[in-house]
Amino acid sequence: MQIFGKTQDNLWTLIAAPTIWAFHFLFCYFLAAYQCAPNADPFTRIGGTRLAIGVVTVVCLVLIGLIVRRSWREWRVDGGGTRNNQDTPEARERFLEFSTLLLAGLSFTAVIFETMPVLLIGDCR
Amino acid sequence: MRRGQASSIFSVIALLSSCTGPQTAFDAAGVEAQRVLALFWVLLTGAVAIWLLVIGLSYYATKGDPAKHSEKTGLRLIIWGGCVFPTVVLAALLFWGLKMMPELRRPADGPTIAVAGERFWWRVAYDVDGDPGAVRNLPQGGVPSANEIWIPVNKRSEILLGSPDVIHSFWVPSLAGKMDAIPGRVNRLILEPTELGIFNGACAEFCGTAHAQMGLRVVVASEEDFARYVRAQAEPAAVDESVGLSLFLQNGCGGCHSVRGTPADGDVGPDLTHVASRRTIAAGLLPMTEENLAAFIAAPDHLKPGVEMPAFGVLPDAEIEQISEWLGSLE
Amino acid sequence: MTQATLYPSDAPNQDDEEVRRGQEERLRKVWAAPKGWRYWSAVNNTEVGIWYTAVAFGFMLFAGVLALMMRVQLAVPDNDFLSATFYNQVYTLHGTAMMFLFAVPIFEAVAIILLPQMLGARDLPFPRLSAFGFWCFVIGGVFVCGSIFFDAAPNAGWFMYPPLTTREQYTPGYGPDIWLLGLSFIEVASIAAAVELIVGTLKCRPPGMRLNLMPLYGWYVLVVAGMILFAFPPLIAGDILFELERLFDWPFFDPSRGGDPVLWQHLFWIFGHPEVYIVFLPAIALVAMIIPTFAQRPILGYSWIVLAAVGTGFISFGLWVHHMYTTGLPSISLGFFSAASEAVAIPTGVQIFVFIATLLTGRVIFSVPMLFVSGALATFVIGGLTGVMVALVPFDWQAHDTYFVVAHLHYVLIGGMLFPLSAGIYYYWPIVSGRRLSDRLGKLAFWLMFVGFNVAFMPMHYSGLAGMARRVWTYPESMGVGAANMVSSISAFVFAAGFLVIVWDVLRPRSKEPYAKRNPWNAGTLEWLSEMPGESWGVRSVPIVTTRYPIWEQPNFIDDVDKGRFYLPDATDMKRETLITSVLDGSPLQCLRVPGPSFMPMWAAIFTGAVFIFATFHWWAATIGAMVLSLVSIIVWLWRGTAQIPEVREKEVGLGLKLPLYESGPQSIGWWAMFITMLGDATAFMGLIFGYFYFFTIHVDFPPPTTVGPGVLWPTVALMLFAAAWASALLARWSNRAEHVGVARFLMAAGVVLSLCASASLLWGPYTTGLDPSAHVYPATVWVLAIWTAVHGAVGSVMFGYCLARSITKRMTPAHDIDLSNVALYWHFMAFTAFFTIATLAYFPMSV
Repeated sequence: MQIFGKTQDNLWTLIAAPTIWAFHFLFCYFLAAYQCAPNADPFTRIGGTRLAIGVVTVVCLVLIGLIVRRSWREWRVDGGGTRNNQDTPEARERFLEFSTLLLAGLSFTAVIFETMPVLLIGDCR
Repeated sequence: MRRGQASSIFSVIALLSSCTGPQTAFDAAGVEAQRVLALFWVLLTGAVAIWLLVIGLSYYATKGDPAKHSEKTGLRLIIWGGCVFPTVVLAALLFWGLKMMPELRRPADGPTIAVAGERFWWRVAYDVDGDPGAVRNLPQGGVPSANEIWIPVNKRSEILLGSPDVIHSFWVPSLAGKMDAIPGRVNRLILEPTELGIFNGACAEFCGTAHAQMGLRVVVASEEDFARYVRAQAEPAAVDESVGLSLFLQNGCGGCHSVRGTPADGDVGPDLTHVASRRTIAAGLLPMTEENLAAFIAAPDHLKPGVEMPAFGVLPDAEIEQISEWLGSLE
Repeated sequence: MTQATLYPSDAPNQDDEEVRRGQEERLRKVWAAPKGWRYWSAVNNTEVGIWYTAVAFGFMLFAGVLALMMRVQLAVPDNDFLSATFYNQVYTLHGTAMMFLFAVPIFEAVAIILLPQMLGARDLPFPRLSAFGFWCFVIGGVFVCGSIFFDAAPNAGWFMYPPLTTREQYTPGYGPDIWLLGLSFIEVASIAAAVELIVGTLKCRPPGMRLNLMPLYGWYVLVVAGMILFAFPPLIAGDILFELERLFDWPFFDPSRGGDPVLWQHLFWIFGHPEVYIVFLPAIALVAMIIPTFAQRPILGYSWIVLAAVGTGFISFGLWVHHMYTTGLPSISLGFFSAASEAVAIPTGVQIFVFIATLLTGRVIFSVPMLFVSGALATFVIGGLTGVMVALVPFDWQAHDTYFVVAHLHYVLIGGMLFPLSAGIYYYWPIVSGRRLSDRLGKLAFWLMFVGFNVAFMPMHYSGLAGMARRVWTYPESMGVGAANMVSSISAFVFAAGFLVIVWDVLRPRSKEPYAKRNPWNAGTLEWLSEMPGESWGVRSVPIVTTRYPIWEQPNFIDDVDKGRFYLPDATDMKRETLITSVLDGSPLQCLRVPGPSFMPMWAAIFTGAVFIFATFHWWAATIGAMVLSLVSIIVWLWRGTAQIPEVREKEVGLGLKLPLYESGPQSIGWWAMFITMLGDATAFMGLIFGYFYFFTIHVDFPPPTTVGPGVLWPTVALMLFAAAWASALLARWSNRAEHVGVARFLMAAGVVLSLCASASLLWGPYTTGLDPSAHVYPATVWVLAIWTAVHGAVGSVMFGYCLARSITKRMTPAHDIDLSNVALYWHFMAFTAFFTIATLAYFPMSV
């Protein structure tokens, strides 16, 4: 049942934000591994890699931010609230929107956590 | 005696009388171990506090009057206690832990020592010119030794770790955390001791039957003593034409062990050129005495199950004694 | 309003006791387990689930005895109760059995029992698959554990690091092969269970149970089964590389020929860390069911639990390197994993606070299950806090591979899994046997276990930091950890005694005791519809669910179910039937006929097991024979048991609703199962691709400039042929549906040939260029990818042949094409695999 003016949430939209986190995580890991794997020069700065990770981080945060915005808005449309245990398509939507919002929040935090090593460690040592 | 602030001459005398030291992270005598210990005490205090808080709260939750708490209170508890508080604490801890890493892995300013974990002992070489690349093996050459590593106090010595056989892990808890010795790779570990003394170490990654008895000693000496020690280790053995030497050679010991200055030039087992100058035999297992040497030669597998050295128990006791006596003279 | 008012007038009168008795008789007859020796052909979840649980606990007790032997050995310094070589077998088998034969299977076992009950389903969608998984588990487990009685058990730790385990000189004998092949086989069983459980939670919910009304256990099962699907396949990929090195000397982990032992660690821990959560989440799921019952209120923060389960499921895949902090990886890489390891604590904290908040706002009744839940909380929080500690890299450099980690992991697993599971045993036992366990014994068991565990494992934190590495068969007195170890050893026996009390409580004869009253804990969820003792049909009628706690919140609910006022109150056709509903809203879609008892799953498991066991001992002729028999048994099983064309299109399922009996394509659960299986398969494939690019990353020259690759010509030919076979699959499905049966058959026959030719040309490439897989890791990697893809091509060919035969024998028609649409789906994945393989092997080297 489609609710007018809103996107319909499902299990895929639910996991969109953590999937972005996973992408960000793998990107950071693979890029750093590729840069540092020969381990020949552990004390040379890796500015380019850090910058690339920074750019991807911003993109990922924006994408997760869009998910937050969408789910927040749609969740607020019919009053928000955490009561989502009724037997209606609206309640199911509200539940999925709220859960999406929570997961997006967690993913946002986790992406920021993932970026801290890049801020604090500048080479391959 | 474990640690001493005495002058270096006294310390050397004192050190010689001892063959064992602490092997505990609680007795930190190196920069990394000290910083990690400090971290541990903070973590422990925080953990105890958080545990008491959570358990206290749970106890209250089961005993309290539910009428006093609305669902709103409960949701607030989830948000503040389950989300915000852990996020803040974890972010702070992560910051601290991440910041510590590059500092602990700062470049060395002391000697570079190559250490290979081998089944089931540690091959040591001083004065190597190291290049810690993952795809290259340990640098060759240098002054060979085994199972006892000397490093200068208050210097950042660089230990290059490799392995020809299986994965081992080099761990001297009083000085620093551990680092694996992996075939095909060279890992570097910085040891920056702040106190003189002897420190026990162990292999921390399971490497086979004798894994539990693959120990080592780190001797922290003054810079001068360290230099003197390495010079002495570089010398060939003070060899006299003894019966022990000829028995050593006759029975093929030289096939595996080197005693520089004699025809024994094996490269399989530990270099024995200055074996008597070391505090222990069998990789930190037994104090260096002639009796222990004899016992080990006769039945190494009995003292250290799984050891790679074959038993020489078939030799007459007298011959084993003569070999041990000769080895015991190789200072 | 009762459901009776909704009835059309011609429906059976459910208020007539005579009518109901007739229905019950038919249901009982249809769902009854076979008698006598045929009992072992049962596939119903109530039988298989209980066998599964019992066997998993059997392995747990076995591994527990091994643990006690270790504790005796370590009680005093320089002890010689066990020899070094035997101790190493004991500790390896302890870890292996606890993780692979208890912790993961018990999740599957308990879910097989409980999930259908919680979803008001008659059975899981693929009962024979459950049975197959169970028999695989038994055979593999007995094989692995039995080895210790021949002094041939694996002896290098439950994570089997090469080169210690790959080189004959370091680990002579069959130990590592037994470990690898035995466990690969069990991994197959786990993936089978994952497929079953995902389809079960998504498609077998009762009508009306929308996603927001699903019991929390269902959410956890969904997440955990999804995790299995992405965590186990990389280990299977690792096992393949490992076993190729052991059997044929392909040097994946041998640095002298370009391999790298660290690759195994990556593949192992990509599996191994999620596995911790695969163990932990289902146990927490039990807590999430128990707490509302004893707080006498619905869970507070349902969405938050979903957040926590899904969030943990994802983040747990970013932790694997925290088992490898000391392998000398760059700090920045370690940092990413440290960050994820800290982040994963957030959802875990959320779960704990949801439970606390629920208790806070409820009126708590204390009983034995709650006692175990409290013990779990107190213990697990300690494990979680030490987990936060070891997630910090510098601290882990000290704690790694010591008894501190031993203590940490046992706090997590015992607190996070064994205590909740014990709570679950006390809570759910009435559903299993119709009787409650003893409160008195339960309390005794709890206190013995709780005190014993904590006093045994708390000192290990100290022993570890005080210098005691893990996996040591003895330690010298001078280490100063003798007293701590003595305390640990004594308390380990107290802990074991506590668990034995539970075992006694479960096993003691109790036929004189009365049955428990129905819903003895006054819970709100569907599994408590179970009668005491339970009936094999599960629920009397499949209810319409409109709330999260129907027994509490839907008036007259139990009575309506019992009186058959909902769906499927009868088995008119004498077939086992259950409902299939939609993913989001649980709208009824299909009446699914699930297969009944059969020995085929057991035979398939025996022959598949024989393949692995014969390969362990290098009996190649027997291995190939077993492979053929296993293929035949699987085909016979599918041929006779799946995609049966029903005698009518639709069936009246009650309440005036008519549902189709046969659906194909994305509507059918078989399609979902294929899709999910192939996701896992693709993950294993990505594990192999990861290996290729891993070597590319660590080597300056990869592929080595001196080696020729597989060439470009033959791989390109193979790619064309694979594309043609893929096209035949799609066109065959299309033309079959368009009733051009002749064309479809021709295309299927063409597919048989095309896919075989494609596989052959893919292998022909590296063969003609003379790549020697034992010379260097590059040719070995090329060969393993080519063989993987070629074997999949051969399987694709068999599938074409199978569909052709189904079509010719009229078991597949234009309107009934499950087989063909599943095969087409397989070929989508096949095309993806072929494309990636060939792009990697033939085209990628040209671009670098």
